Amino acid sequence: MASIKFDHLYFSYKKDDYIVKNLNLTIPNGFSLLIGPTGCGKSTLLKLTAGLYPKYAGHTKGRVITSLSHAMMFQNADEQFTMATPRDEIIFALENLQLNQVEYEGRLKKAVTFTQISRMLDQKISTLSGGEKQRVALAVLVAMDVDLFLLDEPFASCDPEARKFLIEKLGQLRDQGKTIVISDHVFTDYTAVCDRVYEMKNKTITLLDDEEKDALFAAKPLKKVSFALPNKIAQSLFSLNKTEIKQGRTLLMQEQLQLESSKNVLITGPNGVGKTSFFKALTQMIPYSGSLCFHQNEISKLKPRKYLRQVAQIFQAADDQFLKVTVREEIELSKKTRNSFFTDERIAAALKKLQLDSHLDQIVYSLSGGQKKKLQILLMLLGQHEVLLIDEPLSGLDHESIKQVIALMQESQKELHKSFLIISHQVAELADLCDYHLVFEAQKLKYVSEVQA
Amino acid sequence: MNPSIKFILVFIISLEISLKASLTTNSIVIVCALLYLLWHKISLKDLGLLLTVPLIAAFTIFATLYWFSTKPDHYYAWVLASRVYAYVLSIACVVKTTIAAQLARSFEQNLHLPSKFAYGALAALNIIPRMQMAVKRIRTAAMMRSVYLSFWSPILYFKAILVALSSSENLAQGMESHGYVEGKERSAIIKIPLTSNDWCIFVLILFLFNICLFIFR
Repeated sequence: MASIKFDHLYFSYKKDDYIVKNLNLTIPNGFSLLIGPTGCGKSTLLKLTAGLYPKYAGHTKGRVITSLSHAMMFQNADEQFTMATPRDEIIFALENLQLNQVEYEGRLKKAVTFTQISRMLDQKISTLSGGEKQRVALAVLVAMDVDLFLLDEPFASCDPEARKFLIEKLGQLRDQGKTIVISDHVFTDYTAVCDRVYEMKNKTITLLDDEEKDALFAAKPLKKVSFALPNKIAQSLFSLNKTEIKQGRTLLMQEQLQLESSKNVLITGPNGVGKTSFFKALTQMIPYSGSLCFHQNEISKLKPRKYLRQVAQIFQAADDQFLKVTVREEIELSKKTRNSFFTDERIAAALKKLQLDSHLDQIVYSLSGGQKKKLQILLMLLGQHEVLLIDEPLSGLDHESIKQVIALMQESQKELHKSFLIISHQVAELADLCDYHLVFEAQKLKYVSEVQA
Repeated sequence: MNPSIKFILVFIISLEISLKASLTTNSIVIVCALLYLLWHKISLKDLGLLLTVPLIAAFTIFATLYWFSTKPDHYYAWVLASRVYAYVLSIACVVKTTIAAQLARSFEQNLHLPSKFAYGALAALNIIPRMQMAVKRIRTAAMMRSVYLSFWSPILYFKAILVALSSSENLAQGMESHGYVEGKERSAIIKIPLTSNDWCIFVLILFLFNICLFIFR
């Protein structure tokens, strides 16, 4: 049975600059995965299917036909909630569907047990972590009991366990007769649940045959990734001493920890454990108690204007980093305080490698999620900072982009001896770049030497 | 008490005291509002803020009329100054004892205001802390790129407005993706009761208040 039918569909944001061109396709019921490079139009297609476009942006010709009730989960977890708490959001959604009190209680219970969010049901959504928000977003869709789930890279900020858990749950939903269309760049965990893979390329979509599909999902054997353990720290960059960070609940209680200068450290840990909050404390965004020093100076006492020129962060949300309007203007601004590594030639080469050179006059906010991320990382690498705190640099990037970004980081690091502190779930990709590996768990940061990734 | 009724009551009282100058009535309103807030166990810090912040406005009006006017009217100076407090404290009675979501639900269910208005306003309220955080983030991000944004910097406002615009657009899409359709009937899972008791209290308070306003100068 057909769940979605695209009939001679064209779509463009600007007139005649088509993102989707003459698309004729029928997506049957079941679990469909939509893949394709960053910026190819996956989010656009999902929003078209959800009926949000062309209402909110762009022009279409042709038709999208679906008779199923549907709801969509967005790439950016922050932008899909009207109410303050998960419970209120579910109530809001169910009132929209004109359900009564009794039906609500049944649906709430089902959605909460299904996605295991009872702990955060009455917590303010703004205090939840990225991965927790996505879990709540899924709970809302489950409570709404729609037939078609449209999910736009829903696991970008989820840790591997949460991701596995959520994909399994989506598999169960499929078995209950739901149709699921999901876009993603990471292909692990899908083998058991995914019925079909569609690839978006050249403004249209093709169905991969079984062979291609199997090749895509072929599990790379788990590799043992080893990291060194810091032995004697020559020069300490950050030092923690009885440090405590609280955001509603206690996130970090660290007796003692040293981070070494000119070394790269990978930080991993489950969703919501407080990784981003740790960065916020390091950049004076939130307070801490105890001692947290940068080169033996207490961070809370340093002047932000001076300190933040040495310690900068690459934010999880790329929009936060931009100050100008077009890509070219952003590059020019960063050039003003650039380091010795990035000569004009090297910047031009980097732009080309990251496939941003054809977007120089585009408004930064209109770039796709992946393009924004690449530009953001480049802008911050240009600077003269001693330390870069990098929060989920690889989320929303396709395989090729990940390679380019890491190569760029490696090259500049080699010459400038900066320190990168990187939060990421993609351990295997970053193993070469990072010297040490810190695991954040149960309110503690701890160096580990070996992990399976 | 029903949030909508409470809101209308405070609205009428504020309107009436702005039409008739009566120091005694203003004082009665202030005392009653204070008692009501204390009865609802308002925190001392909030109470302190409620009493000190309006002082700036109240004192300015008072000083102007009492000392600096060409025809000083001492009675009127006291009336206007007390009016500031009557407004602030009576509105505090609504704000401090009602959750925004309750008020929005009550507007929709009891006053039959369009749901677009009720939830639009609510979503806007939920954005405020996010905007405060956004401004802080914008300034921090700018310093990380060696740009200092003062509080009157156009870039800061440009960025903040961009954040607000995209938030409002995304919010609209978010509401729609969670099943909201403008003008479509919605059910009420959390019911906000409007009892005859509410109406009795409403009429009684309004009656007593108008008598005060009529008797006292």
